[in-house]
This record gives sequence, structure tokens and C-alpha cells, in this order.
Amino acid sequence: MATVVPVAGDESKFQHSKHINFWRRCLKTFLPHQYTSNDANRMTFAFFILSALDLLGNLQAALSAEERQGHIEWVYHCQLPEGGFRAFPGADFGSQRNDENKIWDPAHIPATFFALLVLALLGDDLQRVKRREILIWLNRMQRPDGSFGETLREDGRIEGGNDTRFGYMSTGIRWILRGNVEGSVDGVPDINVDKFVECIRNSETYDGGISETKFHEAHAGFTSCAVSALSFIDRLPLHEKASPQPDDYLHGISNLPLTLHWLASRQTLTLDEEDTIDKFADETDSAATCHDSRSFVKLRSYPSKAGELSFKWQPTSHFELQWVGINGRANKIADTCYAYWVCVPLKVLDHLELVDQRPIRRWLLDKTQHLVGGFGKLPGDAPDIYHAYLGLAVLAMFGEPGLKDFDAALCMSNDAKRYIESLLWRREIVGNEEVSKEGERAI
Amino acid sequence: MPKYYHDDPRWADIDALPQDDGGPYPLAAIAYTDEYSEAMSYLRAVMARNEMSERVLELTEHIIDMNPAHYTVWLYRAKVLSATNSDLSREIAWLNPTALRHLKNYQIWHHRQTIIDKLDSHVGEADFIATMLEQDAKNYHVWSYRQWLVKRFALFPGKGGADGEWDGEKELKWTEGMIEADVRNNSAWNHRWFVVLGGREGETVSDDFIKREIDYAQAAIRKAPQNQSSWNYLRGIVRHAKLPVSALKDFALEFATLESSDQVHSCHALDLLAEIYAAEENTWDEAAKAFELLATKYDPVRAQYWKYRQGLLRQGGVVA
Repeated sequence: MATVVPVAGDESKFQHSKHINFWRRCLKTFLPHQYTSNDANRMTFAFFILSALDLLGNLQAALSAEERQGHIEWVYHCQLPEGGFRAFPGADFGSQRNDENKIWDPAHIPATFFALLVLALLGDDLQRVKRREILIWLNRMQRPDGSFGETLREDGRIEGGNDTRFGYMSTGIRWILRGNVEGSVDGVPDINVDKFVECIRNSETYDGGISETKFHEAHAGFTSCAVSALSFIDRLPLHEKASPQPDDYLHGISNLPLTLHWLASRQTLTLDEEDTIDKFADETDSAATCHDSRSFVKLRSYPSKAGELSFKWQPTSHFELQWVGINGRANKIADTCYAYWVCVPLKVLDHLELVDQRPIRRWLLDKTQHLVGGFGKLPGDAPDIYHAYLGLAVLAMFGEPGLKDFDAALCMSNDAKRYIESLLWRREIVGNEEVSKEGERAI
Repeated sequence: MPKYYHDDPRWADIDALPQDDGGPYPLAAIAYTDEYSEAMSYLRAVMARNEMSERVLELTEHIIDMNPAHYTVWLYRAKVLSATNSDLSREIAWLNPTALRHLKNYQIWHHRQTIIDKLDSHVGEADFIATMLEQDAKNYHVWSYRQWLVKRFALFPGKGGADGEWDGEKELKWTEGMIEADVRNNSAWNHRWFVVLGGREGETVSDDFIKREIDYAQAAIRKAPQNQSSWNYLRGIVRHAKLPVSALKDFALEFATLESSDQVHSCHALDLLAEIYAAEENTWDEAAKAFELLATKYDPVRAQYWKYRQGLLRQGGVVA
């Protein structure tokens, strides 16, 4: 039975040139002072800005040779003498930096991960990166429970949470600098890969998601970081499609079907704050409310007051699927960034087909895409760098025309990934077999 | 009112250390206010000389209010507090309103743990958490922090640590109150899982325990059948107890049946039935029908997923 959709979904339009304008502004002008609370995330934001323009196919055109080189120098300015990167120039003591005060200007895991990606986006060969120092430091950043932290204290204590965000970025740094070769490289011992996998398995929750740490609530952000990290270290669950042979390695995600169930359940019709209110306290508001699919379900008091009211104006039974949003936890509202945090693990697990991309795409384009380009968190919100990048990344993952192919685990274009894989010093470590010829050229 | 240091005699001995933004082509440069730029210049100056003083506490408060995600300002402040032998209960009094202003900040919770750990007392923490949850009953950081308190002060039911004010039994009651207030608050459900199982790692759970948890979840489902949190909890408990999923068949049938497809009161019940049917080869036809109903009628949001599950039946019925 074919149903005519009252609002033609094909009218949803990705505003390519407006997104370029948005990101060019972020690149070329000062970010407004409201970004001050993100001062310590500048390296991360630098990555979002450059990578967005790369995805849009506009990075080459956006930078002169001088600007490109100048930005490379800026990143190296954030490299610390002992290896690793600081996250923002505000932490730099300049000529006053010494052994006593450098503890307040430490190497930072997210900054180091994103600095390496930014250098790659700018076409730098990473030869000036203190790679060996970073790999030694990475070992010291892993705790006995397998988790990674954010920074190191003077007495060797590891600061920062023990959740999968830092594990994702640490294994990402490892992947960039030494591929997924296990064991010592160049005399530097490897991180404890098995212990890290164990740590991820400990964060699995009873409903199939992954949480901050054991017993915490399942959350899409931590799930995404965990799954991508497993792909960096080649410990994803064995795929059911490939009728896999068991191997001797410990793999993450102990119950893949349950995790897929949890990820698929993140799709929601709760798209804005009003939707979250169960106005009649009978679970029978229309499907455009928080308790998904209630209008399809026959409840004891059916037809409910709310159901009647909302269906009265609707000519079809499938209008609800015009827009589908994605949330980050059970019974929460949809949010642009969670489209990313849910679609990434699905993609990395080779199961992006479990969500219907069309209504998700329409939700992003019709509801959270902004007039001036970029995406906001919720419908009507002003765009910000974080949501604008993650929204764009989802569309790239969905194969939106005008956007480059996207590598979900590394969070950047496949072009940029191949560039990293093509670097000569890296090929000497990793071996050449998996390196595509396309990566030879600078992006 | 912006606050400045250059004209404050208490700071006259400090040479501010301005920011070197790293050459002519910085990335993600921010249009800092004069107030922030100056305060950061003074912060760098005192950090550079490792000054441990009262006035540093004041300065770090100022910075934290503008940029709470600064990753070393908190560590610096903690060290100054300890070096100056500061009154830690005053620190908590300052943290309370600060946390309310910065609901999504990570660092503040770590700092609070450090202070409470040193104070070795949870007095006042339950009230503080209540205030935070009034702002957002699903604030991830707050629930994570509560778990830390329960572990730090051994507030698991039946595990000692009882001090009258707050103990394991009260923690379980409080959690039930949170679920009662909003039966769809998944954070509260997850907290129950932690409270009842977090203190028993490695122990086998008793039949009474399993029955109590199943009864609890089922009562909540009867109140609101279309709520994924309570269904997930129920299925989690059954899996944890290593019971077959078919143990829930009669319960699922209260809310959904394949015989009369307009008698479905919960897509989660139908999901569970599908899983029960998929587990036995002789009921795969029923499983296929349940997946079909989910995909086309009762949960079309997830149609692709239900089609995939239906397809798995043909390949041998892999289920969660």
C-alpha cells in the first residue's frame, strides 16, 4: 500500500554553499567571545573547522600556501619540548616555562590526537612531530585498569576521566603513529591492548550500550568512542555476516546483537522540548511526542484525547516518519550530535543499514540545519562549531552529494586518512600492503 | 561588572604574562574579552612561579567562571587549597552554585570528589544532588557523582555503612522515589541497577532477589507499557540471572499478542515476544510475524532494524 507523504521529503536541501560560508567565517575571523568557555578546546575546534572545509571540498581553495604553512607553524607552536601537544596557546608560559611550572602546561591527549589530524589536513608530513616521545608518553597515560586519562601529573598520576573518550583518542594517536601493529616499535613498548579491551567490556551496560565506566548509564558518545577505538586496535567483534573463525584475541562488545538493538533504539520522534511532555499522562499523545510509536500502539484508553486531536489534521498514517531524530540515551530528546554518535558505531560495525537514512537526513536538513549554514543542537538553535561539524559528518557518512567520503572511526575524509597512510615513515612501520596509491597525492 | 587586576594594589607585584597566540596564523582564535585576557595573563604569571596563596584562589575562581573547561586551573586550585590549608567546607560552599552555573562541565565533578574524599564526609551532598537534579533530572555527571558517593561511603543495601542519615536502604528508597517521579528516567533505572548489583560483584544473586527485581520492573511496566527503560531493566535482570528469555512470555502476552494484532499495547512487549519466538526454531513463523508487525505497524521508526532481525531468522536466528 503506497502512502503519499504530505510533505515532500525530496525538497529537503543540503545548503552546500552556506555551509562553506559558515566554515570560512570560522576559519578566517575571530570566533565570538561566547567561545571563551571552549578556549581549552581550540585544537579540537581547529580540526572541526579544517576538516569541515575538507569534507565540503573547499579546503584547498580556502587557504593560500602562506596561510597553510602559517597554520602548520601554529600547530607546531603548540607542541611541547617533551613531546605531545597543548590544547591552546593560553597554557603556554613562553620563555618562562621551566621544570617546576611545566606541570601546568602538560601534553594533552585530545589536543595531541587532533593536532596530528590537523597537520595531516594541512598536508604536513608529521616529520617534526616528536613521535617517539608521544609513544613513550602514551604508555604512561594508561592506567592499570586499561583506561587512558587526559594529562599526566608531576608524580606520574593520570588526570582526567577514565571513560572511552580518552581511550578513543589514545588509540587514535597510536593508529596514526604506528598503525595497528602490536608489540614494540622502534624500541618503544606497545600500550596494553588486552587490558584496554577489558576496560571497554567492563563499561558495557545491561541494555547493550556502553557507559562512562562500569555501572554508569549507557550513552551514545561513550559507545561511539569505544567502537571506534576497537577498530583502531583491530579488536571489533567478529562480524556475523562473515561466518568468522574464532581467533586468540580478546574482542570488544561482548553481545553485539544487544548493542545493535540499543543503537537502533536511539531513533526517536521526540524532536523538541515540547515533545518530551506526556501532556495527558496516559502515554497516548500523538507519535510526535516523547513516547515513540505510541500512536501505532493500541492502548487501553484508545483512542485517547491526544491521539484524536493530533490525528484529526493528519491525512495519512505515516506522516510521523517524515522526520526521525536520534538521541544519546533512552527516553531523551533528539540532538544533532547524537546522530553522529549513533551512526558512527553503526557504520564502523558495518551496520549503518539498520537505520533509515532518509528521515534522519530530512530531520537534520529541515530541523537543525541553520539558515546561515552549520547545524544547531535542536530545531531553531543557532549553529555552533561542534554540532555543525557532527551534523555535516553524518551527511557525509550518508553519502550526501557534494561531500567527500567519510571515515567514521577517524572522523575525517577518506582522502585525509589515505594521506596519513601514505606517509613514508609510517609505511616503514606499518608495511605497505594496505596503503592505497591514491594517498600518495597531497589532499 | 568586569573585574581587573592591573589597578588592584594586591596584584601590583605581578608582571602579567600575555598570551602568545603562536604566530600570525592561529586557528580557532577567539575574540576574548579584555577581562578574560587579563585574568589569564595573571593566571599564567602566578602559575609560572608556582605561587600558592589566598589570592590565587580568588583568581582561579574568576577564571573558572569564564572557562570551567581549563584543564589545569582546577588541578592548580586543588594544590593551592592543600598548600594553604584552606577550609575545605568553604570550597564545597563555593562549588555548589558554581556547579549550577556549569551543568555540563566535567572537571568540576572530579574536583568535588577530591575535596569530599579529603573531608571524608558526605554531609550535605544528598541535598546538593537534589538541587542539581531539580535542574535536570537526567544530568549524566550528577548520576555518575552519586555512584561515586555510594561507593566511597559504602552506601549499598545490606552492606553496612549505615549511619542513620544515609545508608544503603535509604539509597534504594530514594532511587525508587526518583523512578516514581518519572518512570521514564533512564538514569534512575540505571542507578537502581547499580545500587542493587554494584555492591555484589562476583556474588551469585538469590532467587528472592531476582523475583523482587522482576516484580519491581513489571509493576512499572504495567503503569507505563510503552517505556523502554523499564523493559530494558526487566530483560537485563533476566539475562543477569541467566534465565531463558521465555520466562517472560506470559508477561509479554499481557501487552501484545499475535492472534489479534490490534491488541498491542506496547511495541516493547512485541519486541520481547519476537525474541522469545526467534529463540526456538519451531516458532520462527511467529517471530517473523512479530517482526513484520513491528516494522509495518507498531514501530515503523525502526523498520529497517526489524527487517534485519526478520532476515536473520532465515540465516539461523541470531538474537540478542
